[in-house]
Amino acid sequence: MIVVNGLKKRFKLTKEATSSNVNQDPRQRDGYFNSVEEVTFKCESNEVLGLLGPNGAGKTTTLRMLSTALTPDAGSIHIAGHDIVKSPLAGRKAIGFLSGTTGLYGRLTAKENVEYFAKLHGLKGRALKSRCEYLFATLDMENFLDKRAEHLSTGMKQKTNIARAVVHEPEVVILDEPTTGLDIMTKQAIIQFIRELKAKKTPVVFSTHHLDEIAMLCDRICLIDQGVSCFDGSVDEFKAAGQSTELNDAFLNIIKQGRANV
Amino acid sequence: MFEVFLKEVKELLRDRKTLFFVIALPIVIFPVLFALLAFLASKTTLEAEQKVHTYYIANAKLAPVFEERMFYHKSFKPHEGKERFESVEALKEAVRAGKIDVGVIIPNQFNYKQPLPEQFKWQVVFNDAQSINFVYKRLEKLIQKFAAEIRSVSLENLGVPKEQHTALLNPISVSKVDTADKRENYGEKLGAFIPYLLIPLVLMGASYPAIDLGAGEKERGTLETLLLTPVTRTQLVLGKFITVLASSIACALVTVSSLAVWISIASGVGVLDSLKEAFSSVSIWDYLLIFTLLLPVAVMLSSLVLAISIYARTFKEAQNYMGPLSMLVFVPIVVSLMPNMSLTSFTAWIPITNVSLAIKEIVKGTVDYGAVAMIFVASALLAGALLGCCVRWFSRETVLFR
Repeated sequence: MIVVNGLKKRFKLTKEATSSNVNQDPRQRDGYFNSVEEVTFKCESNEVLGLLGPNGAGKTTTLRMLSTALTPDAGSIHIAGHDIVKSPLAGRKAIGFLSGTTGLYGRLTAKENVEYFAKLHGLKGRALKSRCEYLFATLDMENFLDKRAEHLSTGMKQKTNIARAVVHEPEVVILDEPTTGLDIMTKQAIIQFIRELKAKKTPVVFSTHHLDEIAMLCDRICLIDQGVSCFDGSVDEFKAAGQSTELNDAFLNIIKQGRANV
Repeated sequence: MFEVFLKEVKELLRDRKTLFFVIALPIVIFPVLFALLAFLASKTTLEAEQKVHTYYIANAKLAPVFEERMFYHKSFKPHEGKERFESVEALKEAVRAGKIDVGVIIPNQFNYKQPLPEQFKWQVVFNDAQSINFVYKRLEKLIQKFAAEIRSVSLENLGVPKEQHTALLNPISVSKVDTADKRENYGEKLGAFIPYLLIPLVLMGASYPAIDLGAGEKERGTLETLLLTPVTRTQLVLGKFITVLASSIACALVTVSSLAVWISIASGVGVLDSLKEAFSSVSIWDYLLIFTLLLPVAVMLSSLVLAISIYARTFKEAQNYMGPLSMLVFVPIVVSLMPNMSLTSFTAWIPITNVSLAIKEIVKGTVDYGAVAMIFVASALLAGALLGCCVRWFSRETVLFR
């Protein structure tokens, strides 16, 4: 279970950025860029939450705070009962994170990559071996385990990345645009992976621009626009709020309503 | 932390580029380059030394003794053609045309048997533009010898007895008594070059892996995942730091031992005896002391390059920052290379310069161990502070997520 309340994060702007305010974002104030101003959502343990929003809305920043890479300026995040703002180390053990841009160590083999992260997560000896073997078997990785990551195809890399992200059996999984720029086959592997997590009642939060993925996988939707979560609820509630059965139109309508209210 | 270190080392050892710079370059390529340089230098010197110069003497009959000496000198041979060059212009022309290497003009009035002393002006025509040139020196020696004989005859004619000639010509003779022993002398000249060689190597050995471990990790997108493991950022950065430090020390040690091997091979063949002699008096303890002093420098440079690399977004950005840094490191070393620079209460406070001066003193054998201890403590403190900054740097979001 994930509960996020009133999340805030701002970044200091450089002088050039402050002075050249031709197209000033309303979130830019007093030399700071308020990337995330007020984000609240929750996700039950058997749910998949889709994080939607235009480019630059604050999705990545939100997910980075969720994954403990960034510390929020205000607000709280509870993941599987841990207050991860106060104890990020405990949170990291409970979270599996994967994004479209995370890479692998090119000069290590696929196996070494996964094992390295397993060791960093404190796995040792037989536990490490059996967990890795289980993952390699379920993800069908056996035929490229000893190849260096730099020589792997994108699909193989993505599988290795998935194995790396869940090697410590996380209680929640956070995915930041996991399918961006992937071909259909590889994308399918990710979708399959999310389905399996859902079957195991592991909550998943993922951000995407593909509404078909939302329709396929998600139980809940959280929509972020200009740093504010303007919708949080089930897919049906999303369609009702957007006054359309098409996710696409609903999305545009909610954004429009949100901006009109400001 | 240990896991991080092991993995970084494993990755480094698989990287051909870094291996090449840290190991192959110092072991094979540097010595080969140095040897080639030495070979070329000695070869040109030898050639210049062995060269036999063709000469022509205008008015040779006026100084038959001199002419005869020239004829029998092993480095000179007479011009064999029938041409005559009796003026400065003609001789210049002949030198330019390559017909002769050197021409001597004895003036028409020259008479070495005349009763009263008189000064004559001889002219030597040759091309003085070459930097290694023995022709003038040799010729001058011959002429001076001839002049000394004339002088001696003249003095006798003036009634000065032969025994008093030396005293008359040179009433005071001066001789040097040097309090510096051989080691101090060589140490002053060579000692400064050891840090000049070692410290940049330490920097080089640190910067190649550091770029990979910091900026490289950002560029490949692995940093974010690394940050999400339940390993504290301090442990992560220390694991990386130890890798960089190990590599920098390895680079320096590998180079020094390869140089030592090559030098011992070279001195086995008989060259570089003076170098061997200079270093034979440096004991194993001195080497250990040098190493101990280098350690804080290695820590300083490693934390600096790692901090820079973590800050940089990409490989290329990190490399751009490394350039000016190596300039910054070179300046204090060059300061210590300047003539007459020595360890004083002032220079002992300049980082890197102090270590490099102390190494010089150690090689010279004139070291003040108290000062060395102080420098070590000061450098270690600075190194610790820099490492601390590097660790703090690594926990800043603005640095990690630029």
